[in-house]
Amino acid sequence: MKNIQIISKSILTILGLGFLLSSCQARLDELRENPNAINEVDDASLFASGARALFLETAEESVNRFSGHHAHYFVVSGDVRKPDLYGDGFDTYYEDMLYVIYGGISNEGVIKNIEEVLQITTTEGTKNEVRYAMADVIGVMGFAVLTDEFGEIPYTEGGKGKTENILTPKYDTQEFIYTDLINRLTADIEVLKTLNADNGYFKTDFIYNSDSDKWVRFANSVRLRLAMRIRNANEDLSRATVIKCLQEPLMEYPIHDAFMIQTESDKIAWNELKGDGEPLLKVSDMYVNMMSNTNDPRLHVFVAKDNSGGYSGQLNGLTDEEFGKSNIKERSAMGDVLTQEYSKLYIMTAAETWLLRAEAALAYGTGENANDNYRAGIRTSMEQWDVAETDIVDFLATSIADLSDPMNDEEQIGNQLWLALTPDYFQGWCSIRRTGYPKIAQRTDPKLDKGVTDGYVPERFKYSSFELSTNGTNTEEAISRQGPNLITTPLWWSKKNNN
Amino acid sequence: MNKLLLTIVAILISAITYGQSTVTGKVIEKGNNESLPGVSIIIKGTLKGVTTDFDGNFSIDGVQENDVLEFSFMGFVTQSVTFSGQTSLDITLAPDSKVLDDIVVTALNIKRDKASLGYSVSQLDGDEVNVVKSNNIMEGLSGKVSGLQISTGNTGVDGSSRILLRGISTIEGSNRPLVVIDGVPMSGGSGGVSMWGGTDSGDALSDINPDDVASMSVLKGAGASAAYGSLGMHGVILITTKSGTKKDGIGVSFGSNFTVTQIALTPDLQNEYGTGAFGSFAPIGSDGFPNLDYPYAWSYGPKMQGQPYTNWLGEQDTYTAQGDPYKEFYQTGTSFTNSVAFQGTTDKSSFRVSLTDQRSEGILKGNTLKKQTYGLRASHKLTDKFSVDGKITYVKSKVENRPSLAESSANSSYILSVKPADVRLADAANNSENMYGEEQFWNSDIWMTNPYWVADHINNFSDKDRFQGMFSAKLDITKDFWITARTGIDYNVLESSGYTDRGLRRSASKMGLYNNSISNSTLWDSNILATYKTELGKFNLTGSLGANYRESFSSLISVRGQDSKANGLYRISNYLNTFSNDSYYDKLVYSYYGLGTMSFSNYLYLDVTIRNDHSSALPKENNSYWYHSENLSLLFTDLLNISSNVFNRGKIRASYAKVGNDTGPYRTESTYYFSQYPTLDYPVASIPSTLPSSTLRPEITHSWEIGTELSFFNSRLNFDMTYYQSNSIDQIMSIPITGSTGYASKVINAGSVSSKGFEMQINGTAIETADFRWDIGVTYTKSSSVVDELAEGLQGIVLNRLWTVSVEARPGEEFGGIYGNDFLRNKLGEKLITDGGQAQRGERVKLGSMNPDFFGGITNNFTYKNLSLRTLISYQVGGNFYSHGRYYRMLFGTDARSLEGRENGIIVDGINENTGNANTVAVSSMSKNVSDLYMNEITKDYILDASNVKLKEVVLTYTIPKSILSKGFIQGISISAVGRDLLFIYNAAGDIDPQSSYNSSPTGVALEHSSLPSTRSYGVDLKLNF
Repeated sequence: MKNIQIISKSILTILGLGFLLSSCQARLDELRENPNAINEVDDASLFASGARALFLETAEESVNRFSGHHAHYFVVSGDVRKPDLYGDGFDTYYEDMLYVIYGGISNEGVIKNIEEVLQITTTEGTKNEVRYAMADVIGVMGFAVLTDEFGEIPYTEGGKGKTENILTPKYDTQEFIYTDLINRLTADIEVLKTLNADNGYFKTDFIYNSDSDKWVRFANSVRLRLAMRIRNANEDLSRATVIKCLQEPLMEYPIHDAFMIQTESDKIAWNELKGDGEPLLKVSDMYVNMMSNTNDPRLHVFVAKDNSGGYSGQLNGLTDEEFGKSNIKERSAMGDVLTQEYSKLYIMTAAETWLLRAEAALAYGTGENANDNYRAGIRTSMEQWDVAETDIVDFLATSIADLSDPMNDEEQIGNQLWLALTPDYFQGWCSIRRTGYPKIAQRTDPKLDKGVTDGYVPERFKYSSFELSTNGTNTEEAISRQGPNLITTPLWWSKKNNN
Repeated sequence: MNKLLLTIVAILISAITYGQSTVTGKVIEKGNNESLPGVSIIIKGTLKGVTTDFDGNFSIDGVQENDVLEFSFMGFVTQSVTFSGQTSLDITLAPDSKVLDDIVVTALNIKRDKASLGYSVSQLDGDEVNVVKSNNIMEGLSGKVSGLQISTGNTGVDGSSRILLRGISTIEGSNRPLVVIDGVPMSGGSGGVSMWGGTDSGDALSDINPDDVASMSVLKGAGASAAYGSLGMHGVILITTKSGTKKDGIGVSFGSNFTVTQIALTPDLQNEYGTGAFGSFAPIGSDGFPNLDYPYAWSYGPKMQGQPYTNWLGEQDTYTAQGDPYKEFYQTGTSFTNSVAFQGTTDKSSFRVSLTDQRSEGILKGNTLKKQTYGLRASHKLTDKFSVDGKITYVKSKVENRPSLAESSANSSYILSVKPADVRLADAANNSENMYGEEQFWNSDIWMTNPYWVADHINNFSDKDRFQGMFSAKLDITKDFWITARTGIDYNVLESSGYTDRGLRRSASKMGLYNNSISNSTLWDSNILATYKTELGKFNLTGSLGANYRESFSSLISVRGQDSKANGLYRISNYLNTFSNDSYYDKLVYSYYGLGTMSFSNYLYLDVTIRNDHSSALPKENNSYWYHSENLSLLFTDLLNISSNVFNRGKIRASYAKVGNDTGPYRTESTYYFSQYPTLDYPVASIPSTLPSSTLRPEITHSWEIGTELSFFNSRLNFDMTYYQSNSIDQIMSIPITGSTGYASKVINAGSVSSKGFEMQINGTAIETADFRWDIGVTYTKSSSVVDELAEGLQGIVLNRLWTVSVEARPGEEFGGIYGNDFLRNKLGEKLITDGGQAQRGERVKLGSMNPDFFGGITNNFTYKNLSLRTLISYQVGGNFYSHGRYYRMLFGTDARSLEGRENGIIVDGINENTGNANTVAVSSMSKNVSDLYMNEITKDYILDASNVKLKEVVLTYTIPKSILSKGFIQGISISAVGRDLLFIYNAAGDIDPQSSYNSSPTGVALEHSSLPSTRSYGVDLKLNF
């Protein structure tokens, strides 16, 4: 009997203990929340994140290693030089370059942050169509970079892993993407006209500080860039869009330029690469020649003096053996203004806008004077880099600064675009792929590496094996539409109609 | 002695008592005086019998004068006592030395007769780990326990170990067994680095002091470990530390161990061709220095014949090979361990205090470890019914200069392995800095660092304080009903710091770097268990109910600085740009559980467990989950009464378990962070690249096993065999998703992995004479895991990666396939060769598997009088690993294999892609390697066979006979000569150790990258008892 009493007491004790533990449930709920993060965030800091990523990531890997070499702006020694040999063994880089702008690699990134801003600014209570438009312009530019790198990309379904739970996004054709990007910008421009200090972003709009005029010019100039880029592929849309662009203000002076100075991280890519030692970052001989042959005053800005006090560039594309003999140490480095810690990163400039207008005037007879626009482009570019007025005047007096020069007008414009796009080397590569200027000859000399492109400038990046394994069906579908997954497959917009 | 004494006493007492009586008493184990539960006591010639209770107490009535009481217990020498009236009888049973490990410690520290268990358990003695010492105690288990796979890479004096028990069952997570010390789980996971390098910070297991270990039990299946909940789903290693035991003498023991460590295996380097490319020297620039960029920095220069040339310092020099860089750069390591313990026992209490000091230096200069372990263990019986037991262990360890690994530019063995043979290390040492204090190196690759500059200017420090406390109490309410409560804490403070001085050639880092972090982690585990025991005829029933509360929390504070103001000051205030970070993690699981044991007639045993967990890591709706296990053991020799001298014991067992598992904290809610940009006056948000899941469910593993234990020839030959299968479904994992979603991964429940395996352990005594004995033990393990399915549409998960090679889980394939670029081949599998004579890159395919076909160890134990010799040979057959080290050495032309075709070229075996005829075009060694490795990244030839046979341990021990010592103060002396990892008897990979990975995660063993040289150790071990 006594035992039973003791046992029942003990069972009661255990039950009591169980009751105690059941109050643990409340503690479980408390611990479920992550004390290191927040669950909701203001769209302003998301916008800042997306916009900053646009500047930083378009000037990252792709530019450093690929665009700068492909567009023959420079040559970097060591392993970094690999893309200059027109090879395609860059699987992990291709992977990074596709994902970094979506935000699929780090906590930052253009598309995923902008995607959330677009969602917040259309949600009841936090609705703001002006902020939506500002974010949308950034998003459009992010997607434009992506499609210009790869061709078809996940667009309508891209970057929606969280907002719409799409884990294997479908690809869209470049034609569809471009058409939609242009439409988005057209809508955004109307809204941006109503931007003011109250409905825009305070401080986090580090680009224009809620200046409605500048935002409209910026968005409209980006629209002009996109319109001209599809000139060879869909001339009707290109022309119609250009006409619309000319009806709205465009970027005209360097004060309209979209730039950012990176102050918070180690150093900008150029600075890190340039350094004092290895690897050596040297400008290309094509770049030096283009400016020295025409006495372009920007030579002294973009190019540093070599060891013998002159300007000399490194030849692109040398085979390993020839490269070893080339004495790259003796060549000119990039100009200081491009490689300092606080050098500006650009995503759109007035100079480019003028040159595109010159091209448009030639191509579409927009009613504008092509030569005036061309000269304005050159002047604006020089002003952007603080070239002395007398030097500008001198250069504008030369025949190269005039389309009446016997040289092909389109080539003159293409060459100037290439120079003016410095240091946005990715856009420089896009411009070469589209216009064919400046001419980069097929590599036939045995001293030059033909790579896998038979010596032609690569047309795109490949979809990585990671993309093929995580989004295989959609990627295969894109490849079947677009053509083989090779760096020689031209993009939709670069398929020139006439040749 | 005790036994004899007791028998005599018993006989003496019996002479003065008459009639039928009740006898009560207690049975204890000889040697440690611990009570033995479950001892069977029968009156010989009758069916009458009882068994001892949990505390070893028994009571038997109806005993008559001259009855013979037989005390028997599996694994102990049966003892018979003739009754002669004594009412109280204390019996000491001596372990039967012929039968190894028959009393085992099982889950929740319950001691059980191994025969009664329905699952597989292996138990090892403390001697197995504390004579041949290694810093990580788990190394001592390697090859000794079937089912247990252990490897420790060459990552410095405090490296981590990869430990798997029964292979891999979950795609994500460490898959490591839980380590429980004296009933308290220990926190800790795997260590090591990613392919990008860094240092291996070791794992928690190196904080277990081998000198304090009394025994280790390895509980293999989920059936054995279900009582620990999800933490135990990959098996449990139970460590019982020494408590005070009664000894002759004053109870002081002293141990000393001194070991030296030498380089044993390094890659074969060529000594015929030096710096240069295309058979020529690097072109000399206008500054008089050779242009040592690639390819001229490689070792494809002219043949070294003592000709004059300009060396990397711009000096005229003689072009000759300079000898083995490994021998020149690395030193002989040492390790010196001293321990002292004081212990004592009275009939009511016991105590043990111990202190161990370990000082080691590795083969890399300055890579030191200093560790002190303080231990206190005490138990006391306050009343007959209430006893307490407590323990405190404090470990203080300090490690300096952990070696940089893998792709890290400071990885000395990587840098040395690609050093051209003509470059003198002395030159590198004397010219590690230029006149501006900046690093200098023998080529222009900034992603390599002069190892002598590293030695002087890069360092790291870690200070760890680990505190483990345990308190338990037991209350006997009646003889058959008792409650135990136990609470334990594992508290860990780790301070890590490191610096890189100003002057590294990479300009971004030329400014000097510093980091310092302090992390705190606590695992607090408490449980209470009430047990009731009863007998119903031939049935013995034991039932327990319990509850468990386990909370783990950790915090981290770290600072990082760039751009030093002055040299030589490593404090955050000395840096211009500073960054800081702090975080806190907390997770709680509370549980209720029940255990039941039923035995019938000492030959049939059934164990059941049931457990319910509630976890804070799962969403509220799904946070409760259940486990159960059923384990059956049948001693069929006893049931059928077929025991004979030839076949003396046979047991079959079967076990089934269902185990649930939760996940890490904070994976169910979407969150935002802010980026830390001190120069910006506006906030920048960031969104984690892993998508959370608000609908996570617990993952579930079903497993079963069957096994048998057979003993022949009076237990001279013993077999223990198990076949198991498990299937884990609904696995919680973060699956990689295309980055075009804006995210890199998403946490989901997906996929299932099934594994199965066969384990066997054979122990036998080959020879046994009065003076000589030869015991042999063999373990054999074969296990495989297959990924049955992944999330829909997911073609594979990259588990680990080294440049273009990855270890992946793909549906329908075995877990741990190694994938990489193959050569381009025709349908017949022949390589397709270009007109230029080069092979080409083909598909990305499975090139190998990290899983061995089978593995195990062979132990031989020879004893002659007081001399014993133990050897352990471990073996592995099958399995592959990728050597990026060799890949680099081939590309750089430093590997001995790169000598092929230096002068006359290589005709690559294959078919010309255009003509269809065999290739006849020769290409130079350099051009082949550049094409295959640099341009095409074809890794096929660098997937190596991991098969090996290794002489892992040799121990020669001499125990000074008691007869010599008997008059002295000293009670026992044993001295051993020990050797560890002495040599590869067979190594398919030749010059690379197949277990030299830089990472101890489950897939770490698949990847090798320029590891530190493998080492062998030998030394002496002395143990003294006073």
